Amino acid sequence: MRRADLNDFSACIFEYFRRMQRSIEIMKSETTVGIPKGLLFSYYHIFAETLFDRLGFNVVISPDTNKDILEQGVKNCVDDACLPIKVFHGHVNWLKTRCDVILMPRFLSLEKGKKLCPMFCGLTEMVKNSITHLPSIIDTPVFSLRTKDMYIWSLKACGIFRQNRRDIDKAFSYALLRQKESSLGICDTGYPLRVALIGHAYIVHDAFVSMNVIRRLRAAGVGVVTAESVSENRISQESGRLFKPPFWYFAQAYFGAAVSLYRQGTVDGLIYLSSFSCGVDSVFAELIRLETEDLPFMVLKFDEHTGEAAVDTRIEAFADMLKRRVQYGHHFSAYGQRQPCGESVF
Amino acid sequence: MVITFPPMGNVSLAARAFFEAVQIPYVSPQKANKQMLQAGAALSPDEICLPFKVFMGSFADSIKAGADTVLLTGSCGPCRFGEYCELQPKLLKKNGFNAEMLVIDAPKAIGRKELCRRIRSILETSPVSGASKFKAFRQALHILSLADGLNEKAREAAGYEKNRGESKRLLEACFKQLDSVRLPDDMQAILLRYHEKIDFIRKDINKKPIRIALIGEIYSMIEPFANLFIEDLLMEYGIVSKRLITPSWWIKDLAEKPFGVHSAQIMKAAKPHLPYNAGGHAKESLGFAQLCKNDGFDGAIQIYPLGCMPEIVAKAVLPSVQKEHGFPVLTLIIDEMTGEAGYLTRIEAFIDMLAEKRKREARTA
Amino acid sequence: MTQGLFLGVDVGSVSTNIVLADSDGNVIEKLYLRTNGRPIKAIINGMTAIKSVLGENARIIGTGTTGSGRRLADAIIGADVVKNEITAHAAAACHVVPNVRTIIEIGGQDSKLILMNGGVVCDFSMNTVCAAGTGSFLDRQASRLEIPIEELGGYALRSKSPVRIAGRCAVFAESDMISKQQAGHSNEDIIAGLCDALVRNYMATLAKGKELCPPILFQGGVAANVGIRTAFEKALNKKIVIPQHYDVMGAYGAALLARDEITVSCRPTAFNGFEALKREFSSESLSCDGCANMCEVVRITADGKCIAHWGDRCGKWGAAVQERETGKKEALRQ
Repeated sequence: MRRADLNDFSACIFEYFRRMQRSIEIMKSETTVGIPKGLLFSYYHIFAETLFDRLGFNVVISPDTNKDILEQGVKNCVDDACLPIKVFHGHVNWLKTRCDVILMPRFLSLEKGKKLCPMFCGLTEMVKNSITHLPSIIDTPVFSLRTKDMYIWSLKACGIFRQNRRDIDKAFSYALLRQKESSLGICDTGYPLRVALIGHAYIVHDAFVSMNVIRRLRAAGVGVVTAESVSENRISQESGRLFKPPFWYFAQAYFGAAVSLYRQGTVDGLIYLSSFSCGVDSVFAELIRLETEDLPFMVLKFDEHTGEAAVDTRIEAFADMLKRRVQYGHHFSAYGQRQPCGESVF
Repeated sequence: MVITFPPMGNVSLAARAFFEAVQIPYVSPQKANKQMLQAGAALSPDEICLPFKVFMGSFADSIKAGADTVLLTGSCGPCRFGEYCELQPKLLKKNGFNAEMLVIDAPKAIGRKELCRRIRSILETSPVSGASKFKAFRQALHILSLADGLNEKAREAAGYEKNRGESKRLLEACFKQLDSVRLPDDMQAILLRYHEKIDFIRKDINKKPIRIALIGEIYSMIEPFANLFIEDLLMEYGIVSKRLITPSWWIKDLAEKPFGVHSAQIMKAAKPHLPYNAGGHAKESLGFAQLCKNDGFDGAIQIYPLGCMPEIVAKAVLPSVQKEHGFPVLTLIIDEMTGEAGYLTRIEAFIDMLAEKRKREARTA
Repeated sequence: MTQGLFLGVDVGSVSTNIVLADSDGNVIEKLYLRTNGRPIKAIINGMTAIKSVLGENARIIGTGTTGSGRRLADAIIGADVVKNEITAHAAAACHVVPNVRTIIEIGGQDSKLILMNGGVVCDFSMNTVCAAGTGSFLDRQASRLEIPIEELGGYALRSKSPVRIAGRCAVFAESDMISKQQAGHSNEDIIAGLCDALVRNYMATLAKGKELCPPILFQGGVAANVGIRTAFEKALNKKIVIPQHYDVMGAYGAALLARDEITVSCRPTAFNGFEALKREFSSESLSCDGCANMCEVVRITADGKCIAHWGDRCGKWGAAVQERETGKKEALRQ
């Protein structure tokens, strides 16, 4: 062991004790844990909420994304970042005066070798350098979603406050149970037409960011199937067709789901929801488009903007096109040999 | 099998030397230029980053010139570069360019066996003996490090030279000569000769030139076209520029990585700012900026292609390097729309600013 | 006694400005011309106009050029100082308000933010990518609404409740404006919303994370628009100063930089004189095939003789002209 490492190690221990001491002080008063409703919130919120609630903390969750949150996010974030990152900054900004500690798990990978986009790795630092007067942050890194690793995560994350392991154990198993009961996937039935809605959960499941695409589609008589409703087996089967396994967890999931839905023939079209300047989407929207050559395909890109009319127009046009396709038989296209693809930026 | 590879600054030079020595037919890529980028952009998705577009343009050119195998390095960092090999062959095929893609990826991603198989599949077409192949490889590495070293020396000398523009002229003359020879031995001889010439530039060691650190995404660092030739520009102003990321550094880093001792100093400097790896070279950018700041550099210029995810993280974290004593950083983002006028204005204004800051500090001291 | 004057020329994409300043830095004469995509013509027209107002005893003893066409202007008139716009704007602002801390500059094609401390630029940012934050965009919207650009500010001030317009991108903003118009909002509210959007865009892209301390100077052609100024004051909650010569600050700065250069170096000016402007100027671009870089070289000729080249990376074209010029100068000296 080199000296530098030793120094680092002792600094770590020192930091740990300092945190412990501070945390006990915090414990003496009521502690409120804030959970920002952004990025992967929809994946972990039930677990996190239950966990901290069971442990006797106040849990406060930022409201659904709204204009104000978006505006604050845009104001307090580097310009080049994508919309979801900005929205997340907005949620943190909303929470900063309303809680004592903000939960911001640092997702490094969700499975071995399955990482997330670089923004997630540096998210804590981005937030810290962009927003002033932050309360303390729980940014315990997440390495995998296996029960064992999640348990270790919970111990570390809660360890900042209390040492009683039995409490954490109990809360953990309950929270895990609740999380497993829930499911995020949407698979509409009873509509004459269905489209696969592919894209990051933080766009698809955030009604404000995605401008209510799901509701709009349903209103136009089109049901929605999201990637989460496709079984993992099918996903890994389809994504095996790629040249090499992608290192982005979600890219693999969405690619697999989209291709699997296409092959099963259960959807009539595919809409890819993407945020402007998303690096992952720029690659995978194209790959999916190439793989599902004869399925109507549309990319909707979102940025901070107000024009809802444009989304309406595109969705209406897309729905009409699907209807006409069904009317005139599946393999007919009014636009020539290639199926119409649209890319729409707002 | 006729091999081609993307234009990557000095790497292309070394690759040329290697294939020449092992007598494998190859198509040397043209130097990256605007037409190439535009042609590549037409074949690529809109929002993808600049290297992808340059590569596409270059591959298309080379395939037209007779290449049938494209050689590319993979990457396992969570940035888009690692997915190039997924999308590029499909897009090339769709546009009527038929070529096989050979990806030299990390053994972690594809397994050691597969890696060996891929390397073997290239090498077995060579008529020379195993020992000569090894020798050719070593010589290519040597040429690479000589070329990188020459660059580094010239950039340093630009600040101290007595005859303005001498080192830039030497550097240009050297690379022009290199383009005209084929044999690795000749390349090596030219490089050694110019190393000597650069060493004998008349210098004024009392000068205190402005020193700027260059940080950013790897392709913008190693391919001059991808940073719109910023180093040459800085040389013209008599400014010392230094960058960490060179191809030879990258190879050294790669070799050291399995042992966890790679660029220990940089990592240590970056750790307080960014404790976890954010892919690409975000950590290296931050660490190098911090080290240069400690070393008394006047400022840093960060360069990255539009939408480069790791560098956006680095940009967001840079203020944490800048605070205390201040360390001016200029961020330049490159894409095919970048207008040269605005780009120049920014760099010139940045240099003026650093010079003024110096003057004022001298006055107060 | 002859009076020595300094000439500053700012060749921008939208306007070409010329300023004559005396040795104390006072503006003697200023000109604001539209470039209309023909910078050479604009420079020559401007210089002819300057010549006609120049007094008998006045003589130009220093010249400076700035703006995106600064090299072109240098080739035509002969400049002592060729500087970028940011330094030039800072120099002028600093002369007008010596303790200035913040300079907001919005021109035709780009916008800049310059932060100063103790008379020195300490930070700056510049936006050239996006059209939404620039004067041209306002110009276009004004003509679309059929309102003279000069009255735009007045309309904005009369608004009671400005509408919210997406300001991030010119294309989005325009379509958003159209839809707001069709929704029946009044022109006043839309224009006020447009001003707010422009300011919001400026703050988001240029001023993010930066502290804008007073005194704040607002210059560039857009500073004439009171609507924008009010929107800035509202957004910053600080008073904003508009200098007297806000529209020609770049050229003014170039003149001041030329003055400093001449005073320090005591050189005779490189100014070619007004006679030289009577030559026939033309510019052409050629693609150099000397090496694999394939640079696009610009060549400026006067009366068929080449006077300047740029755009080449290796400098071989530029060097050729330089040699000829130094040869010419030496011949003159002898």
